[in-house]
Parts: sequence; structure tokens; C-alpha cells
Amino acid sequence: MSEGALPKEDAVLRVDDLQKSFGGLAATDHATFAVERGTITGLIGPNGAGKSTLFNLISGFYEPDGGTVEVNGTDVTGMEPYEVADHGLIRTFQTPRKLEGMTVREAMLVGPRKQPGESFLKLFAAPGAVGESESANLAEAERILEEFEIDHLATQPATDISGGQMKLVELARAMLAEPEVLLLDEPVAGVNPTLAKKLKDQIRRLNEQGTTFLLIEHDMEFVMDLADPIVVLDQGHVLTEGTPEGVRSDDRVIDAYLGGGT
Amino acid sequence: MSALDGVTEAVADLSRPETWVLGVSAAFALFLLAALLTGALGPTYFLFLVGLAGMYALLSFGLNAQWGFTGLINFSVAAFFGVGAYGSALMTADSSPIAGGFNPLVGLVVALVVAFVLALLIGIPTLRLRADYLAIASLGLAEVVRLIVLNERWLTNGSAGLRGIPSFFQGWPVLSSFPEAMPGLRLVVIPGSPILLETAFWQSLLNVALVLAFAGGAFLVLRRAHRSPWGRVLRTIRSDEDLARALGKNTYSFKMQSFILGSLIMALAGVFYTHLNLYVGPGDLDPITTFYAWVAVILGGSGSNRGALFGGIVIVTIREGTRFLNDVALPIDPAPLRLLLIGVVIVAVMRYRPQGILPPQRELIWPSAVDGGGTPEPPDSGVREQKGSGGDE
Ligand SMILES: Nc1ncnc2c1ncn2[C@@H]1O[C@H](COP(=O)(O)OP(=O)(O)OP(=O)(O)O)[C@@H](O)[C@H]1O
Ligand SMILES: [Mg+2]
Repeated sequence: MSEGALPKEDAVLRVDDLQKSFGGLAATDHATFAVERGTITGLIGPNGAGKSTLFNLISGFYEPDGGTVEVNGTDVTGMEPYEVADHGLIRTFQTPRKLEGMTVREAMLVGPRKQPGESFLKLFAAPGAVGESESANLAEAERILEEFEIDHLATQPATDISGGQMKLVELARAMLAEPEVLLLDEPVAGVNPTLAKKLKDQIRRLNEQGTTFLLIEHDMEFVMDLADPIVVLDQGHVLTEGTPEGVRSDDRVIDAYLGGGT
Repeated sequence: MSALDGVTEAVADLSRPETWVLGVSAAFALFLLAALLTGALGPTYFLFLVGLAGMYALLSFGLNAQWGFTGLINFSVAAFFGVGAYGSALMTADSSPIAGGFNPLVGLVVALVVAFVLALLIGIPTLRLRADYLAIASLGLAEVVRLIVLNERWLTNGSAGLRGIPSFFQGWPVLSSFPEAMPGLRLVVIPGSPILLETAFWQSLLNVALVLAFAGGAFLVLRRAHRSPWGRVLRTIRSDEDLARALGKNTYSFKMQSFILGSLIMALAGVFYTHLNLYVGPGDLDPITTFYAWVAVILGGSGSNRGALFGGIVIVTIREGTRFLNDVALPIDPAPLRLLLIGVVIVAVMRYRPQGILPPQRELIWPSAVDGGGTPEPPDSGVREQKGSGGDE
């Protein structure tokens, strides 16, 4: 569909001809693109372009009207979100999700997948294994919090931290799930420049350690600096895809997204 | 057992509400002791009350495992209670139209199996949907179960109910003849009002032992399950199910487990009731039981096992206290007075302590991981104290 698209040898995520309509509105309109392993891929587009809808389709929250989603070479179309997560894809939400009645570290510990202690039977049959994995996860959670420089928040109520800190915690928690590809929906929306810088550094560092990112972001400076390639979405379909420079100078993008400015 | 655990736990880190609860409980215990010693409260009746308290504690434990842990709205507490009561009565009673005469242990197993199947039947179509579907379906279920019990005479004896139910320990070695074997005792603490301990007393003592075993066991299971990764996923679901799904949790399965677990505990309350009361009838499935369980959980603090225990005791106190008042002093019918009192208590709690009296305090992290890690526990006052109100309506 999009001409800028290069053939992806090693795609961790492949979206093919995906469609989704709400009433008469085609929120996702034959969208096709792929995310190559090891990249930080940006997903941009004006408000209402269908970016979040695309995330919901990919992660199994919405059932597509047509098309397929492939994660790690497996067709995950129509799977439950938890099954998609099992294939290594984790997503965050545009509006931070608050966990009522949990401390930050407690909320973090929801992240690790397939914990032995999540099996009711093992709580009684193998309490030792549960304790070991719990200790390891707690240590890992505290390590990541430290890396993100928010370890002082560990025992704060998760509902009492700032919006920007919430975004950091969400990223940190998603990392505990050890995703191969992590979908971030506007990670720095409403985050002050210092925290945003911190987030950017963290994403870059995690990427160097092997996590692939697909991130939606309206902050152009942030996304142009961090992501390559960038996929541009407009009215539900992929307008173009390319390097930050290529996208920035593309007339169609300027028309659709930058409103003819810049 | 469970009460003791609850007390030691509360003493360990006395926050203000905990001190308050402890104080009130101690005063109440002294009051009961005085009533016992003066003969105002018969010891057998007292044990019956303890049994009832254990029964309500079980019902609130069950509902707490569903609503308090996971946010599942179950309006058919009475139905699961009834399934437990009838399941075991139908297996053991002389007058049972279908089976009867089995050992009460068989009744217990059958009751639990039926409750399990019923929980599955209602859970499968509703737990994938939004929370309100379970609420509506469970309302219907409560009525359906009640009507079946009332109308299917070939199965349940209909409005006549079931008589001739044996005590739970019938047919057990030693215990089955324990009440008769014990000597009648006559204690004189205050001259002129002797306290008689006879067969009925020893029988009640056995019943109390039974309910303490049930409730204590349920409490220990729930406590371990709650402070664990499993309990943490449930709390995540309660707060934001989509987040749990995005993090790879099969929320349908977790909700089902929580629903079944709670339903089994409710059925356990019914089994105990059958062998306490030795008679069950369709009236035992009245929705008031569901109402009491909800009051107990909300009062105690949703999500807190200790709170559920406390709430259960408060319910029995109000229930039997109004009856007592009616007997000795007030010429007021206890039923409306009871509801009035419960109404006042609920309004007061909602107004001054919306999170309940003993809301959950601890982080849901496996104890050995936190205690071993040397990380300090958050202060008592902190974490959930201010925050409990939001999702608890
Ligand atoms: N659940 C839904 N029901 C109906 N319409 C929806 C739903 N979700 C999204 N839409 C519509 O689909 C279109 C795309 O919405 P989406 O949230 O995907 O946009 P977006 O690109 O994420 O925008 P933003 O940058 O503002 O977050 C919008 O017109 C929106 O109104
Ligand atoms: Mg969006």
C-alpha cells in the first residue's frame, strides 16, 4: 500500500490489510505495515487518524473486520489479548491506568508473565517456588525502578503519583513482562521535558538491550529523535513510511498532519 | 482459630481502626461473659450464636473472595447458601425424597459439587461480559433456585422443607456419641443461678468446633491466596480489567476461579447451617441472606478477610440482639428494628468510613518475599486508607 515501505526481512509484527469500522466510520482502512525486529518504529498521524484503534486491533482488544495481524510469525488475528501477550506483544494505554489500592511496586509486580504464584493450586502445592519467583520478581522490579530513578516511589500508593511518573511506571511494568515488542501509546503525553528526556533515554536503552518498540506520539521532536522508521497514518490508512527526514519532507504528510505548516 | 489469628494480626500493627475494633470486641466479649455468668445468656444458646457468627463469617468470606478481591457482583449468595444447605440435607435427612441417610461427609461433598457446577453454569455465560451481566444473572439465579426448592416437591419436599437431618458428626467414631457420653455439669458461679451444661450444650460445642474448622480453614486459604500473585491479579481485575488483559492475564479464568472459590465457601456455610438447625426450608433461601452478606463485606471493608469476619459478627449481633431486646425490653417487632439498625450502620459507615472498618492494609505480595527483602512495610496509615472509597460502591 505505502510506497516508502521496504520489504521487512525479520518482522516482529506484521499488519496486513487491517480493517475496522465503527458504524459508518472506517477507523482502520486497509492498513498494512510491518515492524522490523530491533527497531523503534514511530506511528504518527493527526487526532482521530486511527492510531489507538490500530493498537487495540493488534493487541486483541478489538476484533478486526478484515485483515490479519502476525506477531513473531504467528497469526494472532482474533486471539484474546492475553494470548497475544503470550506471543511477546505488550501494549500500554493512552490514558494511564491507575491501580486502586496498590502501591507502585505492587502494581509493578502485575507485570511479569506466567508467575508460578498466579496458579491457585501452586500457592498451596508449591509455596516455595512461589516465594522464590516472587522474591526474584520483586528484586527485578526494584532494580528497574532504580534504573528509572523512581525507586523512592516504590511503596507509594499507585494512585498518588503524578501523571508523568505514572507513564514511567507503566513503561517499567511493561518491561517486567519481558516483551519482544512493546507498543506505547503516547508515552510522553503530559510529561514534563525532564521526565520525557528520561523516558526517551530508557526507551533507547531498552531498545539497545533488544526490545522492539512501536510508539504513538504527537510530540514531533520526541518521535523524530527517537524513532526510525516512522509510519504515518491518516484516516485509518498508512499514508507513508520512511525515515524521520523523509517523512518530515513528504508533502502528503505535511498536508495531512502538519496542516501545511513547518 | 480464625478469630485468634485475626486478633493477633490486629495487635501486631495497631492502626486506629484496629485498636477501635479490638476495644469494642473486648468490651463485647466481657459483656457476653457477664451475661453467661449471671445466667442471662444460656451457654447452649451462646454456642448457637457463635455458630451463627461462624456461618455469617463464611458467607462474607465467600462474597469477599468474589466482590472484595475481584469486583464480581454476586446477588445470589442465598442461592449458594441454599444449595449447600439443601445439597447436604437431601443426602442425609430421613425425610429426603431422593436419597437420604448418607453420612454427612457425603452430603458435604455433594453440596460442594453442586455449588461448583452452579457457579460454572452462571459464570460461563456472564464472566466474559461486562460486570453488570453477572449481577443481573445472579439476581435471576437466586430466584430460580428458590422457586425450584419451593415447587419441585419430588426433589425438595417443597414448602414442607426437610426434617430429620442428623448432626454433622453422626456416624463418626467417638464424636457421634460425644454429647450423650459427656456428663451433665452444674456450675454455680453466682449463687442462685446455676449454669447447666447438658447434652445439648455438648452438641452445640461440637457444632462450634465444626464451624470454626470451616471458617478457620476458609480464612487461612483466603489469606494465603489473597497475598499472592494470584490475589494481585484479582485486584488488578477489580480495578482495571483491561490492564490485566494487556499484561497477558487470562482474566476470564481468574474471575471464574474467584467466583467458584467464593461460591464453595458460601455452600460451606449452608452445609453447616443444615446440621446446626437440623431443618431446612425454602425460607432459608430468602434474599435477606444475600443482603446480610453484602452488608457484612461492605461494613468490614471490601477485600479484607478480617473485615469480612468482623462484619459477619456484627450482623449476628444485630440479628440476635434485636430479638433479645424484643424479648426483654422493647415491644417492637425485631424484624423492622433490625433493618433499621443495619440501615443506620450502613449510612454511618458510608458517611464516615466508606472504605469499611478494616479495609485491606497489606500489599498483595507473597509474605516471604517482602519480609525477607528487608524493605520496610509502608506505614499503617498509608496506602489504602484514604483510597478505599472509589471502587467500593
Ligand atoms: N470504540 C469506539 N467506538 C466508536 N468509534 C471509535 C471507537 N474507537 C475509536 N473510534 C473512532 O475511530 C477514530 C480513530 O480513533 P483513534 O482513537 O484510533 O484515534 P487516534 O489516532 O488514536 O487519535 P488521538 O491522536 O487523538 O489519540 C475516531 O474517529 C474515533 O472517534
Ligand atoms: Mg489515540
